[in-house]
Amino acid sequence: MNIENTQSQMRKGILEFCILSIIRRGEAYPSDIVEEMRRANLQILEGTLYPLLTRLKNSDMLTYRWVESNSGPPRKYFSLTEKGLAFYKELEATWTELANAVQALASKTDSMPDTTNQNPSF
Amino acid sequence: MKKIININFHGRVVPIEETAYDILKQYVDSLRKHFANEEGKDEIINDIENRFAELFSERLQKGSTCITDDDVNAIIKSMGRPEDFEKDDITADNTSSKESNQQKSSAQQNQYQTSFDSRQLYRSENDKVLGGVCAGLANYLKIDPAIVRIIFALITFGGFGLGILIYIILWAVLPPKSLAINVRKRLYRNSESRVIGGVASGLAAYFHIEVWIPRLIFALPLILGIVTSIFRNSWFDLDPAPVFVTGGFGGTLFITYIILWIVLPEAVTASEKLEMRGEKVDLESIKNTIKGDLEGFRGRATVVGSEMKEKAQQFGQEFKQATQNFSSEAGPAIRKTGTGFGHAIGVLFKAFFLFLAGIISFALITALIGLFFTGAGILPFRHYLLAGFWQNFFGWSTLFLFLAVPIIGLLTWLIRRIIGVRSRNNYLGYVFGTLWTLGWVSLIIFASMVFGNFRSRTSLEDEVFISQPTSARMIVKANQSKVSYYGMDWFGFNWENNGPFYGLNEDSVMMTTVRINVTKSPDSNYHVQKVRFSFGRNPGMAKDLANQIQFNITQNDSFLYLPQGFALTPAQKFRNQQVLVIISVPVGKKIMLNNSVDNYHWFNVNVNRRHMNWDDNGNDYWNDYNPLSSDVEYIMTDHGVERTQRYRDDSNDDEDRTNVKPKEGYRYRGTDSSLPRKKKDSTKMKMKTEEKAVKEEVKSSALVSPQKVHGDQEYSISSVVSNIYM
Repeated sequence: MNIENTQSQMRKGILEFCILSIIRRGEAYPSDIVEEMRRANLQILEGTLYPLLTRLKNSDMLTYRWVESNSGPPRKYFSLTEKGLAFYKELEATWTELANAVQALASKTDSMPDTTNQNPSF
Repeated sequence: MKKIININFHGRVVPIEETAYDILKQYVDSLRKHFANEEGKDEIINDIENRFAELFSERLQKGSTCITDDDVNAIIKSMGRPEDFEKDDITADNTSSKESNQQKSSAQQNQYQTSFDSRQLYRSENDKVLGGVCAGLANYLKIDPAIVRIIFALITFGGFGLGILIYIILWAVLPPKSLAINVRKRLYRNSESRVIGGVASGLAAYFHIEVWIPRLIFALPLILGIVTSIFRNSWFDLDPAPVFVTGGFGGTLFITYIILWIVLPEAVTASEKLEMRGEKVDLESIKNTIKGDLEGFRGRATVVGSEMKEKAQQFGQEFKQATQNFSSEAGPAIRKTGTGFGHAIGVLFKAFFLFLAGIISFALITALIGLFFTGAGILPFRHYLLAGFWQNFFGWSTLFLFLAVPIIGLLTWLIRRIIGVRSRNNYLGYVFGTLWTLGWVSLIIFASMVFGNFRSRTSLEDEVFISQPTSARMIVKANQSKVSYYGMDWFGFNWENNGPFYGLNEDSVMMTTVRINVTKSPDSNYHVQKVRFSFGRNPGMAKDLANQIQFNITQNDSFLYLPQGFALTPAQKFRNQQVLVIISVPVGKKIMLNNSVDNYHWFNVNVNRRHMNWDDNGNDYWNDYNPLSSDVEYIMTDHGVERTQRYRDDSNDDEDRTNVKPKEGYRYRGTDSSLPRKKKDSTKMKMKTEEKAVKEEVKSSALVSPQKVHGDQEYSISSVVSNIYM
């Protein structure tokens, strides 16, 4: 069990969720997505983003339109579909649950955390 | 110092260093390989390329003059290489989860391994020619799909369609599934160096052997066919198909080649070319392959147009294109490598045309070889045919330049193709072409010279003095020759007692072009006339040659002895010398021809129509041939000859004869007489028994009018000329 594997698996699970949450805020250009994720300290290779976006688009989660660009060929801007939004909502709910659970589990430092939690009725 | 090239990259002109371009191309190829089994692979790669284009134009707008290695490397770094993708592997997981939920999606297992481990038989969805059954089986057995396909094809060809039956059942039973190919080494057709379909070079690459070895094996039946045809050469053996197609060994190889052509995918991409050789597919080796490709391409570009193969390939490609278009409309069963049902049909078509072309060229080679050996076989006769230095000179040059040169040229070309020698220049071709042109020239000169030898015809008429036989009957016999001649057997042509040349010895050739005509005597005596004919360059020469014919007729009471033939020496030359013996029989007297007379063969050479009516007296009676049956007694009547016994038990020709009423004199005007006569000429080479039968027929079906003779003569020219000059 090496640490890198575990880390990458953890990241992978939330990658789609992160991407969708960026796109949810408005039309997004892939390299902008990468940039934003980097700023949030989530390293991702652009090369892995494109297949992911294409797959999401092919399963009707995303749609895109072409936007003319000054600095090169037209760009593809991605946005969420209704199905994608629903999908995102589900993921968000799952994430919140998970985050809380993980938070709760990971933040327990005491040897007797159970009693403190069970005792407020006192 | 670096070379800068302009590329059209997503609609923009991009100046880029050549090395940077190589890096970029290599990178895109590696992506293509990585996403090969991805559903939207084209779109993904397109997106990535698009991003490259955008970053390039940004760089150029900032003032760079061109895209450098560093630029490309920097972009690649931020994009990530396929190896890096594998690390935070999204691809494999997602595809497999899409396809099947039953699989344990252990994240660390890549695509290949997941498909390995499921020990269940599927039809392959992504690698198929028809239904993907073979690829599924191959995945299950962990072998190259091509091998399974070959086995199926062989079972189908050899087992009366059994393979198809099994295939259909499996097609119906097996569930479809997207499967990856799980072998590292695959059989491909090598499109780079191919003669026909690239099968042989693909096999060579697979087994790491020299390419000429499989080529030689496949070409062996063809070569064997040619070689055996040289040794087995008979006159016109134009039956090549059984030799290299239906003959067990050759046929199997031929069918095997076709099957391999259909079944094996063509190695197009760099990674496929690597798989063909069984090398590990990674970036470095892809780079090397592409480099080799580029260099090979540059090298080849200089030789373009010099090879006939190029054109053939072009045709093949267009054809393939057409069939692929057809197949893409006909069905969706086409796979990335371009195999498919349409491909199979295309290959079969191509194979069919190649087969035809092969037969034609094979027949040509065989015919040329046949002609060459016939020409060589006629060599002993050359002294009789050719006069003077120049005729001999052009005879030899025709033999070698016109006949031997194309044979050697074709064989050289074939061998060079098999060994894979490519010449940068066409010297060899020019040399052979020039020599052959010279061959044509000398053929034409030679032919006109030889025909010139036969320009004039003359006849000499002599009365043979005979004493009248005591009995009212004359028996005509041909003597047995006292000189020994070989009965010759050249290439299936048995000369003995057949054909116009009775035989040949060291210093003379025996001619049997003798004919016996029987006419009505004007008085009450038997008369015998001898007419000698000969052709020559001019009438004087012809007359000279006619005079040299030694044909001495002797008599012993009622027996008239004719020589078996007459001898020609090389000094005399063969100019279609003929002897006509005219026997005039008085009315009421009898005549009988001994069967030894049957050995005479009359034939005419006539190269000049103006001389058809050579007899300016209009007295052409010796052109009318009244073939009496041998060993039958005839009696001369006022109407001509008639049999003394009208029916003979053992002969069927009497039935015919009774139908034909003799008209004026001995001339019968048979209506259909030209046909059997022709038969007679053409059957010269056949077996004696056969000829006998035909002769009987000819004789019984009566005679030829002058007009008929005319046509007949023409026929005999062509047959004789072809015999002699070929």
